[in-house]
Amino acid sequence: MTWQFLLDQFAAQFALWWVVWLGILLGIVVGILPGFSPQNTLIMLLPLTLAVPVDQALAFMVALYCANHLAGGVPAILMRIPGSGGAAATTLDGYPMARKGQAQQAIVLSFTASVFGGLITTLATIALLPWLSKLGLYLRSVEMVIIMLFGLTLIAVIAAKDTLKGLISGFFGLLIGVIGTDHVYSEPRATMGFLELYDGVPLVAALIGLFAVSEALVMIEEKMIVEDDARERAMQASWADTIEGLRITVEKWWHIVWTAFIGLFIGIVPGAGASIASFVAYQQSRMWSKTPELYGTGIPEGVIAPESANNGVTSGTLVPMMALGVPGGSTAAVMMIVLQYHGMVMGPRLFSTNPGLAYGVFVSMAVAYIFMIITILPLARFMARIVLIETKYLVPIILLVTIVAAFSERQYTFDMGLALLFGVIGYIAHKTNYHVTAMLVGVILGPLFEQYLVRALRISEGDLTVLFTSPVGNALWALLVFSLVVPLARSWWTNRPSRRQP
Amino acid sequence: MERQSKALGADLVIPGLALAFAIYFFVSTADLIWEAKANGVVIGIALVVLIALQVVRAALQLKKGEGSRGFDPLWQPRDLLWKRIGLVAVTALFIATLPWLGLTLGLWLGMLAQLWIIGVRRWKTLMLLPTGTAACVYLLFIFVLDSGFPHGPIEMLLAR
Repeated sequence: MTWQFLLDQFAAQFALWWVVWLGILLGIVVGILPGFSPQNTLIMLLPLTLAVPVDQALAFMVALYCANHLAGGVPAILMRIPGSGGAAATTLDGYPMARKGQAQQAIVLSFTASVFGGLITTLATIALLPWLSKLGLYLRSVEMVIIMLFGLTLIAVIAAKDTLKGLISGFFGLLIGVIGTDHVYSEPRATMGFLELYDGVPLVAALIGLFAVSEALVMIEEKMIVEDDARERAMQASWADTIEGLRITVEKWWHIVWTAFIGLFIGIVPGAGASIASFVAYQQSRMWSKTPELYGTGIPEGVIAPESANNGVTSGTLVPMMALGVPGGSTAAVMMIVLQYHGMVMGPRLFSTNPGLAYGVFVSMAVAYIFMIITILPLARFMARIVLIETKYLVPIILLVTIVAAFSERQYTFDMGLALLFGVIGYIAHKTNYHVTAMLVGVILGPLFEQYLVRALRISEGDLTVLFTSPVGNALWALLVFSLVVPLARSWWTNRPSRRQP
Repeated sequence: MERQSKALGADLVIPGLALAFAIYFFVSTADLIWEAKANGVVIGIALVVLIALQVVRAALQLKKGEGSRGFDPLWQPRDLLWKRIGLVAVTALFIATLPWLGLTLGLWLGMLAQLWIIGVRRWKTLMLLPTGTAACVYLLFIFVLDSGFPHGPIEMLLAR
């Protein structure tokens, strides 16, 4: 790979600006609407992506994918309804910022962290691709089980102020995720006789119910999303807030960089995905902060960390697809199908047989991020106005339109009813401080956890101690314990009796 | 520091639901081969242990007088309780009648009813908001995406 080769790649991608823009616009719309996933949109657009030349198809898919990751943070900040699982951690500080009248600033931070986080990791991937691609080889089913547990435990501890309640939510979600037929014998489990549950619980219905429906039922208690005393500030928001957001971005540049790399490394692990990455980044950000107690009250770092990691995942997810022929997620799987249709064979040989495509994917991603910041930043001011709409108008729209969106994943009316049921459970959870995020991530990880656990048990002939036999796995266990113990120790140290006495 | 009284009854609703589901899982999968239920059993047992801890904690708080058996957080604020139930009931009705009313008409009626329940009385808003939302949803889901939503009288009429 030479500089000239890279420059040619960038020039070729910039020439496709109209395709990139189309992908960005569609990705933003799809990302903002809860329930619309990039993979479903790409599946619906397959006739288009299969018909156009491969470079155009690739630029379009990559732009849509990245824009989708970026836009999921917008409803998370404005209404505490993440557009996707990866934006769930953004609600923790994004929504409190919006309530304090800083919605515009929070959106700008989310955009800049997403774009720069995504851009930095994409450029790093271009430089380190041959080495990064080997990372996935060290992770087998045993390590994957620990990564899943690591992610869920962190989320339970971070999202809920009460660890026990967080863990109950997370494990309840995991058990719900077990519903459906098993991976080996296809035996239906806990389906209550519904054929619609044989494929498992639809994630979109769970997302919409736990976040959108439950939030709408809680939201009616307020006149507007923004708090009464912050209303004046929100109404007077101007371009100065956008500039302030940019200033904070520059000030926190290092925060964006290191949390983006967390996203990149977790993204490389097939199946781990953005929901784990954003929470791990949030937790690490809080752990190393001088003011961890401020997290959850609406601070910029609490928006930057998950959004940066959420977009760091985008390039990471594509690494195993390009280098090993193993898609890192469902969107990557759809992309792989399109590329294979065009005659591209993924895997280690791709770098020697078709370097233009191997590196072109990531160059295309970098170009998409550059276009994205120009497109979306000016919109922040107008998007932030949503918090000023009275909830009596917002609630029926959220309730009914998101319930309609629950239909989109599998086209079953059953899923709409399921979303409503999840909504009622989510409402009870909201009111009693059982965090719905931990529950949702449990539902997402449930099937993956089972897949890896069963595989690990098969290899070890049912011996659970296999989970403690791998060096990488043991290092991950240590990291898990460290991440749990450090905040507890820190909290104890801060609140120890000798310190509290005057 | 003033001690806050917790509504421990409400605190145990989610554990109660989780426990009921875990028991249902154990009972309904009892006859399955071990590998088919291993994951659920491992998670279920961990969940039951966590629920037991929560119950013990609640019992201790009750004993110390730090909480009540009440369910107040779920009903509060009282004046919104019926509005909430109304919103959920209309949403359920919207889903149940979707096969007959179709997406557009069902959504229009559902939104009109929900706006009324929530306290909107301006007839212009009552007409414009449901019409605008139903029109957007029709355009996106029926006209552009041609998704599999049940067609009702409006869709039939517009398809002619």
